[in-house]
Amino acid sequence: MKQDCLDIGIIQAFLDGELAHTESARVSGHVATCDACALMLADAEDESALVFPALEREFASLVPTQRLWSKINASIETEKQSAPFWQRAWAFITLNLTTPSFVAAAGMIVVFGIAALLIIDRGYKSPQVAGVRPVQVSAPQPAAPPVASASSPDTVVSNIPETRPIMAEQISLRSAVRRPRTTTVTGTPAFASPDVSNGYFPGEESYVKTIASLSRSVESAKDAVMRPGERVAYERDMAVVDDAIAKMRTEVKRNPRNESAKQVLYSSYQNKIDLLNSVSQKEELVASLK
Amino acid sequence: MTGSGRKLEYGFVLAVMALALSLSATGQTVVAPPAAPATRSIAKAEIPPVPSMFGESTERSIKVDPSINLSLCVSEGTLKVNGWTRNELRVFVQDGSNFEFKTQQTSPKTGDPVWVMVTAVSDRNKVVPRSECIRGGDIEIDIPVNAAVNVKGQDVTSTIDGVRKASVKIIGGNTFIRNVTDGVTVSGGQGGIAVESSSGAMSLDSTTGNIVVFEAGPSDIGDIFRAKTNGGAISLEKITHRQIEVNSISGSVSYSGSLLNGGSYSFGTSNGSIRLTLPTDTSSTVSASYGFGAFRSEIPITTITENISEGPVKSTVGRIGGGDSTLRLTTNNGSISIRKP
Repeated sequence: MKQDCLDIGIIQAFLDGELAHTESARVSGHVATCDACALMLADAEDESALVFPALEREFASLVPTQRLWSKINASIETEKQSAPFWQRAWAFITLNLTTPSFVAAAGMIVVFGIAALLIIDRGYKSPQVAGVRPVQVSAPQPAAPPVASASSPDTVVSNIPETRPIMAEQISLRSAVRRPRTTTVTGTPAFASPDVSNGYFPGEESYVKTIASLSRSVESAKDAVMRPGERVAYERDMAVVDDAIAKMRTEVKRNPRNESAKQVLYSSYQNKIDLLNSVSQKEELVASLK
Repeated sequence: MTGSGRKLEYGFVLAVMALALSLSATGQTVVAPPAAPATRSIAKAEIPPVPSMFGESTERSIKVDPSINLSLCVSEGTLKVNGWTRNELRVFVQDGSNFEFKTQQTSPKTGDPVWVMVTAVSDRNKVVPRSECIRGGDIEIDIPVNAAVNVKGQDVTSTIDGVRKASVKIIGGNTFIRNVTDGVTVSGGQGGIAVESSSGAMSLDSTTGNIVVFEAGPSDIGDIFRAKTNGGAISLEKITHRQIEVNSISGSVSYSGSLLNGGSYSFGTSNGSIRLTLPTDTSSTVSASYGFGAFRSEIPITTITENISEGPVKSTVGRIGGGDSTLRLTTNNGSISIRKP
């Protein structure tokens, strides 16, 4: 390799079209005269050719950016509102840790707190180690009761009794908060019977999750944006698609090698996504016209 | 006054009356000034409104770049966009809202607008519009043939003819596209979509409307034709795109035309039939999946694999001719038929 050979990072950037025009011209000029760099470029191209088709499905299944952003923002808002106090307090603290004055004040409070504890502790001997003192903690109630209902066969129900005494250090509040969220995705009533216990067919889960996510937003919006006639047509089409999904799912379960049934199943899932998307697109259009 | 004098006076009056009568009979008048053309003169200044019980009529025009991009929002009305060879944008709204041109971008070379928005403004009665969307009984737009037109709206019957690119996004109302040379995108909501003699990549989408396309083709290699409706039927004739994707949920699909070598054609519906009319020299590999229906072909198909056992889905894979294109047909509840022309 020559002294002035190109870095692999520059070659990759050149392939991705991230270089400025002049830089790009320089690279292509250099590659034309340098065998080593030409070889590196060819290798990088081969790698890209291998990787991009594999990721093509992922790229193709992206939701339009505007809708994605609105969903992300909505999720952030929901999460903000549903976050417990301690989580918000922790977020506040971590955010302000970069501020020197806040760090200084917090440090002073900690020092005073330790000093006060030592002074208090000197008076009597603790009967237990503070860290393992039993605390009566109730498992958090599911944040979304309708989907966490035990009556739903698709719902994953926690085995932990709600009033079991738990040591404070053994509780992972994070996981306790997450638990009902898992059931929200799998137990969405709008989706036509996803069978969680038997798992999904290959490639099915992404469809199911997308449908569940879209259903949540569409269910609240469809009454507002659709006229009665359109609503009737929507419900009819949704019934047609759900029926096709249910039939094909049964068939694929019965005969997993039936490629035609799989193909129809996935195209029916796509139809359902398109149907739900049409409502959210209309919602966006109506909002933009106001 | 003497008798001859009176006679002369009567004679003069009669002569004047006869002259007036003869002039009016030939369509001229010497009394009234020439009538001003209705409201159609092209000028940047606002034309005085024509009284109407529904709204006022306004016409404006502006010199623009030939490759202008026009964006407008129409809340209701009939919209007609027509391409012409002048570098001028003219908008005429009859019985509708007052409007103005908003130049978003100008050409660095000529200084002429390359991106213009048409937005509603307060009318003479100081009625402030609820949004930037204009409305009108009739909205007529003349625009350079090389223009790209973007329309969004609520209840709009739109006709776009003879421009480079058309994009329509509406909630309801029918859309007619004709002679568009470089791409059509329509999201028609409840309305139907008709496209004729146009080229370029096409994406036609409707919820409950029908889609009809006659004579369409690519403008560049790789241009894709997509048509999708939830509850309507799709009818295509003489499409020369090499990649066609057509899908309906509860409507039928019909296609009449050739399948080009190396092309990829996909026609699907959940609850409807698929009818293809193909020339007898078609060369294609056919993959048909169907549920409660039948698969018939008037053109001989060499079966490669077939699964017609009991079950909700049957499938046939076969070859017509040399099998040079790919044809995928899917229906859950309907029949598939391939006919000769």
